[in-house]
Amino acid sequence: MSDALLKIDSISKHFGGFTALSNVTTEVAPGERFGLIGPNGSGKTTMINCVSGLLRNEEGKIIFDGKDVTDLKPHKRTGAGIARSFQIPRPFHTMTVIENLMIPAEFVGHHRGEKGDDRAEAMEILETMGMAEKADDTTLDLTQIELRKLELARAMAAKPKLLISDEAMAGLTGQEVDEVIDILFKMNERGITIIMIEHIMRAVMRFSQRIICLDAGQLIAEGTPEEIVKNKDVERAYLGSTDG
Amino acid sequence: MAIFIDLLLNALVIGVLLGGFYAALSIGLSITFGLLDVVNIAHPTMLVLGAFIAFLLNSTWGIDPVLAGIISTPFFFVLGWLIYQVYYNVFEKSGAESLRGLAFFFGLLFIIEVGLIIQFGVDHRLVEAPYIGQSWNIVIGEEIDVAIPFRLLVAFVVAAIATLAIHAYLTKTFFGRAVRAVAQDMMALRLMGVDPIRVKRIAFAMGVATAGIGGALMIIVLPIEPSLGRLYLGNVFAIVVLGGLGSISGTLLAAVIIGIAESIVATFFGPSWAPAVSFGILLAVLAFRPEGLFGKTAGAH
Repeated sequence: MSDALLKIDSISKHFGGFTALSNVTTEVAPGERFGLIGPNGSGKTTMINCVSGLLRNEEGKIIFDGKDVTDLKPHKRTGAGIARSFQIPRPFHTMTVIENLMIPAEFVGHHRGEKGDDRAEAMEILETMGMAEKADDTTLDLTQIELRKLELARAMAAKPKLLISDEAMAGLTGQEVDEVIDILFKMNERGITIIMIEHIMRAVMRFSQRIICLDAGQLIAEGTPEEIVKNKDVERAYLGSTDG
Repeated sequence: MAIFIDLLLNALVIGVLLGGFYAALSIGLSITFGLLDVVNIAHPTMLVLGAFIAFLLNSTWGIDPVLAGIISTPFFFVLGWLIYQVYYNVFEKSGAESLRGLAFFFGLLFIIEVGLIIQFGVDHRLVEAPYIGQSWNIVIGEEIDVAIPFRLLVAFVVAAIATLAIHAYLTKTFFGRAVRAVAQDMMALRLMGVDPIRVKRIAFAMGVATAGIGGALMIIVLPIEPSLGRLYLGNVFAIVVLGGLGSISGTLLAAVIIGIAESIVATFFGPSWAPAVSFGILLAVLAFRPEGLFGKTAGAH
């Protein structure tokens, strides 16, 4: 389909002699909830880094919102509407929670030539996360779950079309995982396309409409959560195969 | 007793004024070294360059030194812009900034210094302005009066305005926030739609630009010669480290602390001990509180 929001067209990425990504092609439709799974070292983070621009893929193209962004720098991609959260929360720790949100809000607004009340917008995002009362706290005082929410809030503050959530739930309790999933559902309802990278299968299966699975840098399966669960290749990638 | 109080009061007043002046010398380094992690050891020598430009404008056209400092500030901004561009492309990009970057700024220090010696010689130079040489006496009690030299007062007022303006800019504006964020996590900043190299380039240029006005204040306060920068090197680094890397308000406070300490030591133990103060404080800070008064880990500043 030609109206995909994100088109990954046969991208490859090598680190020296190691092939981290090999000829991966996939598409994400506007408004879709898209899951990305795979064992450790399968190339999930490499793929996401290529999409967000932290790494350059040597081969292939990345088309976002109808434009070729393959050679665009990361901050320009954020400006174009790709935002991501980090696996390990990395807030600016000398700043308050709201200040952390205002950096992306102001810069992206500036980049797109929009004039808005950035502080009010940032507050509104915090409210949807249930973190409004923490706005003026420093990030050093936040709990683990609050730091994860801050990561998502900061990505949201960049007013993205596509949000990439990189293992936002690792290490959280069951209830906290549900809380983060709820937040992601809320964002999706606002029309934001979401790519979820996750090790917690329960979360990916519940959240995603469509899932792809990577193994050793190759795309080995693509389908609905039900199809992925039944897929033999996925099972082999995760559990290892007996015939080597 | 009255003499002691008289000396102490004078030392305190001079110390505070000196502190304001030191703040103006250190604020640029507080930006480049404290916030951006660029060890610009050429900063004090750039200040001396600023002082010589003020001297040139003053002796040639009779321009007031403060005005001369304001005139030369855009020149220093452009200079800083170009220096960072070279520094980034040659060192930072390849991750070789720590030692080779230091050597780069050390080389820059000598190039500027030698350039000044060739152009102006090694003699001490000073400027002329109506407020230089005058002072204001405040009689407080019998045998107690405080003398405020106008040249220090002018330096203090201009320094206070300049440093507070920079402080406000860095804490209140969106660009200032990005500057404070850039040294902490360039990658995260990138993914928030900010070009960190651009932010660093502009912030570095701002830090160097302070050498224009700071240099002018330098020559208002005392006669200058080309190698003076090296004398101030320990001083400004002590202030930035004492204040806490990354904290502009800490730099202001540290400058006043060092100013008062130097002034009191100079008054009661003799001026030759004064330079030992900043190094002594620097060593003590590194030993007991390496993060400084308002260090990066101490919370929001």
